[in-house]
Amino acid sequence: MSRVSPLANTAVLGYFGNFEGKSINKIIKISEITNAKIYQIVQYKTSKLDISSLKIDSQILSASPGTVSANLKTRIQWNGPKVWTIVSSNISILDQINTSCSDEDFAITDLSHSRIILQIAGENAINIIKKGCPLDLNEFKINNCANSVYHGIAFSIDMLNDNPNTYNFMAYRSFADSFYHAITDASLEYGYKQE
Amino acid sequence: MKRVLVQKLGLADMLEIKCPYCGERSQNEFSYGGDATIKRPELNSEISDLEWDSFVYYRNNPRGKHLELWHHTSGCRRWFKVHRNTATHEIIKTLEIQEELHD
Repeated sequence: MSRVSPLANTAVLGYFGNFEGKSINKIIKISEITNAKIYQIVQYKTSKLDISSLKIDSQILSASPGTVSANLKTRIQWNGPKVWTIVSSNISILDQINTSCSDEDFAITDLSHSRIILQIAGENAINIIKKGCPLDLNEFKINNCANSVYHGIAFSIDMLNDNPNTYNFMAYRSFADSFYHAITDASLEYGYKQE
Repeated sequence: MKRVLVQKLGLADMLEIKCPYCGERSQNEFSYGGDATIKRPELNSEISDLEWDSFVYYRNNPRGKHLELWHHTSGCRRWFKVHRNTATHEIIKTLEIQEELHD
């Protein structure tokens, strides 16, 4: 069963802002990632399990702050000490999580219904982030992630690509309209295409 | 010059706080959590009303070095300690919550 997009009544497909006279490669592309499975995994404080050999969809749970383990379908973001967020289009991801992570060591929470993911692509994508987020992105590379705020809205950034710059922004579903408005408002200067 | 402006106009820079887990981040991402030197009375111990009052309500308001609790609300959502100078806003050190400050 597919979920109703939090932007179903907000996002309108098309070109907006200062896009005229620009090639398609120069404008920002905004799209919503729908029907992704999102799970939070927390290793209990009392757990003694060594996670270095643990894999989900062939990806490790990274112990390095601000890093993402990723393949084409699954991205595992470091979200805090012993806290990870899994975003996946793999329909069997929950089975794989349950196989790898026992109830004795991990708390697994399905967040799929409660988040919005916007994908922003384009050479000016970093400038859109800078307009509302205090994070220093100069050292940000592919498969880096961070939690921060965008105009006061808590969100996470995950960098997928650097040619063109492509980021996934994840925020609470209840903030979807405000978050989308803040992002698109910042994108008008460069022109954007809602896909 | 900047310092003079800060003093005359009451302008203050945002703090940059080094989260022990995430690194340097803007103050926007954090919430202040109070004095980190306050210890909760032992569970089931006999204490006077004055001692309980002191634990719940009474706080020092030092001008100078102060050990504080902060929460990385929009980051890793962890509590940690910040050793900060309240007069200059200098952050001397940040510590994980279980660490003790040794001068």
